[in-house]
Amino acid sequence: MAVIEGRELVKDYGGMKALDRVSITVEEGDFFGFFGPNGAGKTTLIRILTGQLEPTSGSATVLGVDVVKEPMRVKELIGIVPEVESPPTYLTAYEYLYFVGKVRKLDNLEDRIGKWLAFFDLEEKKGTICKDMSKGMRQKVMLASAFIHEPKVLFLDEPFINLDPIYQRQLREYLEGFVEKRGTVFMASHILEISERLCNRLAIVNLGKVVSEGKIEDLLREGENLEKLFLRSVGLKALGGDPARKTS
Amino acid sequence: MLKEEFRTHASYSGKQRFLTFPLFVLVLAFFSGLTLERMTEQVPLEQMGVFANLSAFLYGLSVGAFGLMGREYLERRHGTSNYLVAMPYLLPLSFRTTFIGIYLRDAVFYVLLLLAPATLGLILVAPIVGFHLTSIGLLFVAVLLSFMFGLSLSFLASVVYIRSKAAFLGITAAIGVLFGSHAILAVPSLEFIVPSLGFQMNVRPFGDDPGTAALYALVVLLATSVFTLLAYGLVQIRINIASKMHADLLPKIYERTGFMEGINRTLMSKEFLDLRRSGTVAKMFFSFVLPLLFLSFTTWYVNYGLSIPVGFNAVFYAAMVGFVGVMMYSWLNNVDLAEYYSLLPVTVPQLIKIRILVFLILTMGISTFFVVAISVLNGETELLWLALIVMFITSLYTVVMTAYLTGLKTNTFLFDTSVLMRFSVLSFFPDVCLTILSFTLQADWAIAVAGITLVLVMLSLATVVFFRGIDMKWDRTPFTA
Repeated sequence: MAVIEGRELVKDYGGMKALDRVSITVEEGDFFGFFGPNGAGKTTLIRILTGQLEPTSGSATVLGVDVVKEPMRVKELIGIVPEVESPPTYLTAYEYLYFVGKVRKLDNLEDRIGKWLAFFDLEEKKGTICKDMSKGMRQKVMLASAFIHEPKVLFLDEPFINLDPIYQRQLREYLEGFVEKRGTVFMASHILEISERLCNRLAIVNLGKVVSEGKIEDLLREGENLEKLFLRSVGLKALGGDPARKTS
Repeated sequence: MLKEEFRTHASYSGKQRFLTFPLFVLVLAFFSGLTLERMTEQVPLEQMGVFANLSAFLYGLSVGAFGLMGREYLERRHGTSNYLVAMPYLLPLSFRTTFIGIYLRDAVFYVLLLLAPATLGLILVAPIVGFHLTSIGLLFVAVLLSFMFGLSLSFLASVVYIRSKAAFLGITAAIGVLFGSHAILAVPSLEFIVPSLGFQMNVRPFGDDPGTAALYALVVLLATSVFTLLAYGLVQIRINIASKMHADLLPKIYERTGFMEGINRTLMSKEFLDLRRSGTVAKMFFSFVLPLLFLSFTTWYVNYGLSIPVGFNAVFYAAMVGFVGVMMYSWLNNVDLAEYYSLLPVTVPQLIKIRILVFLILTMGISTFFVVAISVLNGETELLWLALIVMFITSLYTVVMTAYLTGLKTNTFLFDTSVLMRFSVLSFFPDVCLTILSFTLQADWAIAVAGITLVLVMLSLATVVFFRGIDMKWDRTPFTA
């Protein structure tokens, strides 16, 4: 069953095409990786699929709901972690989760808040408002707020960024368990090592167009890893770390 | 830095639209010049000179006041952008150098944005109405001095604020005492408080005493230099980022907002908590109360200082209170970024409507107090009922109209000339109608009340139309930039 479906999606920012007829299908239980160079259109696609941004043309559904016609309904059903961690400046972690819980009309709110504060070890920062938190702490708050209503579909834009290795592992294990229980994850990330371990299907986008899509094992050539597949798909060879080597 | 400031402003509404703002100022100055002769029948030219210089002084103060918000402002409004003001953190460049850079940038940018086009407008109209170019040049020098005086004072105050809030309050109180003393006792003179005014009043077309004018110019230049050097010397090298602990208050505030239901209750609770934690309530209070005090002082000065019997009454003040309220709505939209709302099932119109309600809750008490106080002080308690109705309807109309035009980005959209034009027309005409009708109350009570009623009915209808229009206009707007 297709949980996420995008058809011929185009997003034009005043003459600059961020997405150019992108079609994508994600099945229930998929851990779908969405990769591409900076500015390739990953965040734009996530924002369209989550009802945050209207496409210039094309259509999309999430859990059968039209994202253009019913963006609020889509947001009720899904969890979103944005690219930039941006919780409310003046709320504590507890207060933001309380706020999200009330907006989403959740039952057993105290239990849910307690569970996620404990999961991300945010209790030690009790009383600290988000603007005084580190980037990692803010990212944990955003993750907790996306998980608190236990959605069936998660849209994650760079979820591992700013997290220390301990919480990267904890999050990875949680997401693996989530998918095992038939949850669906749509994730954009530049951390290819973790993504390769998690994703069963992927799409690579370059200059607004999907250049590779399918099951990871079908796309990888012999002896190839995700990094090499990525570079091949976007038309680049692996480069060393010294910028001077690029011109030599 | 100049390019960065220009691009920041241009990003709000587009390059062309932003560039039409100084053009708008130029045209306004041109037409003001054309109608100057008629205006001087009501207000003496000398008072216009005072008004122009005091306005430039306040303009300088407000431009520099952004420094008061400093890091907080940059983090909140431009959290994802890196500005040159952050350079000392990344490059071998001192805070002092950056600070003086910001000072010079603001001076040049805001002179080019407003003072220069206004002067050009007067120069263009000069051949038609017979203004002397020398007088226009001297007017420009005077308002420039007033602007720089205000700007340097504001920068100094912002540096003092970061070092010591008590010292900042001391400076603010001293300025308040000077103006208050002038208002009540006429001592010290305005020229003593804002010396550039002394320069203005001693040169053409207001006077012809070059020696005294030069002395005043020297004083204001000296004061501006001293303020700037003091600010430069006192600017703190490193801002302490202290983390404060807070109790979880949201559930308690939520319990107290039982008069609301569902998602609106949650949104309103958060708005009140934001206002409390950000300290915006105090800033809002001053930005609302100060213009009202300024208005009261100006009208008092015209009535009693200049002995011009204009006939300001409680109904006039009530209308003004309503129109001043727009600044409060703007503040509400500047407390925090709203990007995270895009992740939740919340729409832009829902948040706009909550902020209108918060605006009403915050302002109605102060506005009512002000109108009642003015009625009692003027001995016009018989007008109080009408004044209160005028105040409530104009307040509601102004905030709903502003919300309809600017959504959640009031500051941003008021830099868009097309929005500014619509805003000006929609606030100017009812304001003028109510002002004229309020002046007519003594002469012809029945006609004036009938006219005011008609204006209020139209404003109420417009309020309903704008309120309903908020859904249609902003429903598809994303929270994200």
